[in-house]
Amino acid sequence: MGPSSGVASWPARIRQRVWRIAPADIDPVVLRHSRIYILPTARGVALMATLVIMLLTAMNYALSLGYAFVFIVGGLVAAALLATFRNLAGVAVSPVAAREAFAGSELAFTLSLASNARDRVGLSVAAQGGHAQMLDLPAAATRPVSVSITTRGRGRHTLGRVTLSTDFPLGLWRGWAYVHFPLAGVVYPAPEAGAPPLPPGMQGSDAHRSGHASDAELAGVRDYQPGDAHNRVAWKAVARGAGWYTKQFEGSGGQGALALDWAELPAGLDVETRLSRLCAWVLAAERETRPFSLRVPGTDIAFGQGASQRRTALSALALFPSASAR
Amino acid sequence: MKPRAPAPPLSRLQLRWIAALLACAQAPLILHMPAWIVALGSGLVVARIVMPERLYAPTALRRWLLPIFAVATAIGIRTQFGYFLARDPCVEFLYILLGIKFIEARTGRDGMLLVCLALFLSLAQFFYTQSIFAALAALPLLLSLGGTLAALRSGADARPWREQLASTARLVVQGVPLALLLFVLFPRLAAPLWGMPFDAGASTVLSDSMSPGSISQLSLSDAVAFRVDFAGQPPPPSQRYWRGPVLARFDGSGWHTAYRLQNGTPSRSSEFVSTLPRPAVSDPLVGPINLIATLSYDQQLFARTPVTQTVRYTQRSILRDSFSARDDNPRENLRLPRTNPRTLAFAQDMRGRAASDSEYIRALLKWFRDEPFVYTLAPGQYDRDPVDAFLFDTRRGFCEHYAGAFVVLLRAAGIPARVVTGYQGGEMNPDGEYMIVRQSDAHAWAEAMIDGEWKRFDPTAAVAPSRIERGLGAALPASEPVPYLARLEMTWLKSLRLHWDSVNYQWQRGVVGFNLDRQRDFLRDVGLDGARPWQLVVLAAAASFLWGLAVLTVVRLRRSRVDAEIALWRSACRLLGRAGLVRRQDEGPLAYAARASGRWPQWAPSFQRVANAYAFLRYGPPGPARGKLLRELETGVDDLPSARALGRAAK
Repeated sequence: MGPSSGVASWPARIRQRVWRIAPADIDPVVLRHSRIYILPTARGVALMATLVIMLLTAMNYALSLGYAFVFIVGGLVAAALLATFRNLAGVAVSPVAAREAFAGSELAFTLSLASNARDRVGLSVAAQGGHAQMLDLPAAATRPVSVSITTRGRGRHTLGRVTLSTDFPLGLWRGWAYVHFPLAGVVYPAPEAGAPPLPPGMQGSDAHRSGHASDAELAGVRDYQPGDAHNRVAWKAVARGAGWYTKQFEGSGGQGALALDWAELPAGLDVETRLSRLCAWVLAAERETRPFSLRVPGTDIAFGQGASQRRTALSALALFPSASAR
Repeated sequence: MKPRAPAPPLSRLQLRWIAALLACAQAPLILHMPAWIVALGSGLVVARIVMPERLYAPTALRRWLLPIFAVATAIGIRTQFGYFLARDPCVEFLYILLGIKFIEARTGRDGMLLVCLALFLSLAQFFYTQSIFAALAALPLLLSLGGTLAALRSGADARPWREQLASTARLVVQGVPLALLLFVLFPRLAAPLWGMPFDAGASTVLSDSMSPGSISQLSLSDAVAFRVDFAGQPPPPSQRYWRGPVLARFDGSGWHTAYRLQNGTPSRSSEFVSTLPRPAVSDPLVGPINLIATLSYDQQLFARTPVTQTVRYTQRSILRDSFSARDDNPRENLRLPRTNPRTLAFAQDMRGRAASDSEYIRALLKWFRDEPFVYTLAPGQYDRDPVDAFLFDTRRGFCEHYAGAFVVLLRAAGIPARVVTGYQGGEMNPDGEYMIVRQSDAHAWAEAMIDGEWKRFDPTAAVAPSRIERGLGAALPASEPVPYLARLEMTWLKSLRLHWDSVNYQWQRGVVGFNLDRQRDFLRDVGLDGARPWQLVVLAAAASFLWGLAVLTVVRLRRSRVDAEIALWRSACRLLGRAGLVRRQDEGPLAYAARASGRWPQWAPSFQRVANAYAFLRYGPPGPARGKLLRELETGVDDLPSARALGRAAK
């Protein structure tokens, strides 16, 4: 199974087979006995321990019916093992898609589970460190299931190993199988909380004019926040000693296209903050349905609007080489 | 690890399942428990179920009250028995403990503990009885066990209880072959692992002493004493003397076995093979009985270990009325206390008139026959000089009176004699080709030493010959309270009971009596007698593996029957695939049929027919038309052209 390369050493191949360390599965993976593990649950162990005590009692008192009773319950436990196995065996798993997420939130992946001619009950699907997702799978049905991993930083996150498990029918045995698809999702930078408002847009189709909003009406001022563009600071008020304010404009210019530029951010901001702020701005622009362009070192995204523009921009931010990588 | 969330409380459904399980565990024991135990233990289970939901969370009060209550119950049981750490008190305590634990059970963990306790309690019913009914009584528990475990399973949604019971029953049935294998192969023990508690099984059997009334007591019981299979023809009724305890010591009213004096230690009645039958003479024992019993000099069979369960053994007997007495001490069988003066005088007088011992005995038996003696279960009480009172005043007695008085008469005349107790008679079961001997067949007779040989004499036969030939029911007047089955009339009820006894016998023999010896016999019968333990283990492992494969396969076959339409459709797809038209993953049946019709227009109706039938079966509403559609699909698939024909047509 799988594209196991002939060069891999024996221990590595066994490790891969047992633990599915490398994302070597290609779709769809049909769970068979070579992938399914079964061990008793804590409850199963408790019940078996009880059966052992009962067996000792039956032996001591030479209770033939005691033996029979213990063995019949034992047979039930063994049949439950087979039922647990059957509940997993034959399930086909295929990768479907990775969703998107912002750093710090959960990144969801969609897998597709298909059953053959058998009803599956109480399947649990979980990525490493993620919450388990429970589902029932009727015969011949295909169901999407979403598993998620928690993310910390931005960038490309792989799904990692996914565990399918079940303790159907009696909760005495837990059967599980690992699948490891090469599925990865992009995690965008976390949008900066309390980011400064969007830089002023440009007039109409004249997208190449600079962000000065000289023709817009001054709507008012608000408190200055570090990072506000220098040309929008109410310098007069600063000179008067009245404090720091930023001018806000209103009018058609506010609805115009935006040029979001790494270079225009105040110097002194570190890479991640810049990316966070740009992310927040992309989201804000998208919210206000304003077309925008994005320029970060190495990437230049032309003006555009809509979901694909947003995804392109956010992905560029997400995949921006991190400071340590440079 | 993440911190574990607090376990969710038991749901209403889970509580109901647990309650059902507990009830199934407690119910079979109700007959064996005192009323107050039953009332408390089962009452608490019911209380939890009817308890309003807002009272579920145990208050501080209840958290204290319940342990105190448990301790109080333990003290109550201790007072009742006088001891606590033994089998019966512990079973009673466990019975109540189930209720107490159920009252305070909150989480799934408590639920699992209750499941384990209930399992153990249901084993306890076999301490008291191992009848067929006891086995049947354990079945509801098995079913509710599966339901409870499934309900306790985390994240389980409620399935209808009928469905749950059905799926548990399927699991139990699947496990039965494995259980059977283990039952047959699992090694049985010859001796208990730890000391057998002294309260294990005491039933009414012949004892090591006989006082007036003891055998007539026994005669009131219909219980089966033992059953016998004969290798050849069973002996005639007059020869069916099953020898039990030999009583040689007479204290003026009661008879006792001599061993009490010999050993100096009181022997317990359970050490006798008192229910073991043996005709008057046994040859040196053969076969497996030597392993479990010894034959004493006075031809009594003793078990080597206390008899606590049904023992099954083979024995050969020689049917003669006399056997050598060379090992016996004649003086031991001559001792008489100085009571019953009239009897002593009568005996000496009679012996004086007889020419020999044998003649004296014949005269005595004739005297018993001629005088107006009455054979009865209700002879009345004799206080002083009971033998005198019986022989000369009331002349009403049961076999123990006749045998006792007869031996006194012999000893008084200087003839060594002793009382032998045991069973006389037995009834062939027409179903099972075996003989049933009941407690009501208990009997006492005499043995006298004449010319160095012990000879059997039965004075009861002189008084009531029909007792020996035809059994107790025939010998006693109809007004006497004889056990029902001892009466001879072959009513339908009696025949029914004999059938039932036959079933019971097989049960006792094959299931309950499946001990070390039976296991050895069985292994010999299947040719495994020489097998070493590890070979048996390998055999068991291999058989278990085959069992697993078989269960998986059988289930798969059943599945494929259920989803016949899928199998048929797949075979049709395979056919077209072989002909070069592989169904695309996203292609539905109708679209696929349309594509096939495009390539092979001459068979378009066939393709449409199959696709339509399949699509309707698969995606249409369920209904009675399914069977017809399935046949339609079947014939449609059959009518499809072969892959080769398709291939030719494509060119």
